Amino acid sequence: MNGAAELLLRSVVVLSGTAILTFILLWHAPGDPALTIAVARYDSVVSADVVDRIRTESGLDAGFWTAFSHWITPLLSGDLGNSSVSGRPIWPELRTAILLTLPLALMGLLIGLALSIPLAILAVRHPGGWIDRGAVALASLGAAMPAYWLALLLILAFAVKLLWFPAMGTGSAAHLVLPGLTLGLGVAASLTRILRSALLEAKGAPFLPALARRGVGPRERAFSHVAPHAAIPVLTVAGLELAFLLEGAVMVEVIFARPGLGGFLIHAIQARDFPKVQAVVMLTAILFVTVNLLTDLLYRLVDPRIGTRDA
Amino acid sequence: MRELLPVLIVVGILAALAVFGPFIAPNPPNAIDIPNRLAPPGGEYLLGTDAMGRCILSRLLHGARWSLGLAFLVSTIGLIAGSVLGLVAAMGGRTVDWAVMRVTDIFLAFPDLVAAVVVAGVLGAGTSSLIFALTVTGWMRYARVARGIGLGLATRGHVVQAQLAGLSGPAIARWHYVPALVPSLTVVWTGMLARAILGISALGFLGFGVQPPTPEWGTMLLDARVHIRSTPLQMIWPGMAVVFCVLAINITGDVLRDALTDRDAPA
Repeated sequence: MNGAAELLLRSVVVLSGTAILTFILLWHAPGDPALTIAVARYDSVVSADVVDRIRTESGLDAGFWTAFSHWITPLLSGDLGNSSVSGRPIWPELRTAILLTLPLALMGLLIGLALSIPLAILAVRHPGGWIDRGAVALASLGAAMPAYWLALLLILAFAVKLLWFPAMGTGSAAHLVLPGLTLGLGVAASLTRILRSALLEAKGAPFLPALARRGVGPRERAFSHVAPHAAIPVLTVAGLELAFLLEGAVMVEVIFARPGLGGFLIHAIQARDFPKVQAVVMLTAILFVTVNLLTDLLYRLVDPRIGTRDA
Repeated sequence: MRELLPVLIVVGILAALAVFGPFIAPNPPNAIDIPNRLAPPGGEYLLGTDAMGRCILSRLLHGARWSLGLAFLVSTIGLIAGSVLGLVAAMGGRTVDWAVMRVTDIFLAFPDLVAAVVVAGVLGAGTSSLIFALTVTGWMRYARVARGIGLGLATRGHVVQAQLAGLSGPAIARWHYVPALVPSLTVVWTGMLARAILGISALGFLGFGVQPPTPEWGTMLLDARVHIRSTPLQMIWPGMAVVFCVLAINITGDVLRDALTDRDAPA
């Protein structure tokens, strides 16, 4: 069991586990969920009958597994359910949020790539030289910098002092600059480190001079030998960067008051709107499991050594 | 090795500040002085005061105990739980290994900060849910490293001999596995300690972590954020504290990796 079937089985196990664990967490959350919903809906002191009615309506009086199956059955056919506070379907609202987060994530990724690729290439030209040391120092500083503090510094510099870009909200392309830059600088910090060491390793591979002496041309060396070796760290990075982008987007959106996925999640948690929280958790898990699955499959294509008891 | 001394001194100073900070703080961290609110640095208050006239330096020093102390606690619990699970996976045979590694995958199927936000937020703001949230989302790296090293040890001569001599599983783990794990896990631990500092301040900044008026660097940043136009310095100090600590610990981790492990080994 070490092929694609095993990988697929793993993905299914991971997704089911995520669903069950999330449900357990929310089921055992402190406070009476029915009361929370009642207060959120009617915004005043509610009578015990109303709370009881909501409890029955939303299936909260049934047992854990009944409630779980009420949630998971529609989910399996692609229905994320309704908000427990407003009663409206979750998906349209969530889609709006995702559509706001996507350009931010893309902008962050582009800025990250645009900064890190030239910096890494310049750095490995003279390993240990001043550009290399500077790049490493900048990357270390970037890795230690919390996204929300970097965001505050950028707001201070470009929105408060220089008045170049708006600090908060959405609406124009200018609103995307500071959040995108916050995210992009973080991405650049981690990418520079990884690209630098990947390039250094590829340059120093002992088989390269051997191939050259055997008369293999530089073109073939680069494409048939260096590229597959360098592809492995790049593939690993893809998954890591996705996590970083998502994590960063949550913080950045809160600071810049962008009603994207991060704001959606934080508001859902604060309103104790658990169906919404579950929806975000499951979508994220599906996204990650899919990316990990694709990465694992690509690994096997690129490097035939991978595959035996390597989890 | 030559580089080890300076970084250890810096980390030692940080640890001392976390332990003794409250004793050298010039003012009580929650003492309110409204006439002197939002005071600039210098004078009576060395780093100025916040919106309630509380001494920022004193709050930073008291906050070190929360930010650094909690990070130490969280990363150490993760270290113990994760390495035990990793060893169980490595020594327990194929089925156990598969099961433990799939549980690890479940917890890894999520960016850890987002998971911590969900757990801490759902359980309700407060220090205990903060600790739980960061521990539950921070043990997987230890488990993977411990398992990887453990699998490599299983067929080594001294381990096989110990088994043939009738030493029990826990005893083999204690005498043959744990010592082999120490170098790599120390390096992983420094990385996780830095991550925990970032996580604690991030949760504090979102309002899900340590609750006011307790001074913690993330919540101090949250307080300072509103005054970014009038007194921007107020948000500079706690941020610098976080960056400095994380940077110092990360550099220590790099130096330790070079000193403790061979460069080729995955850490």
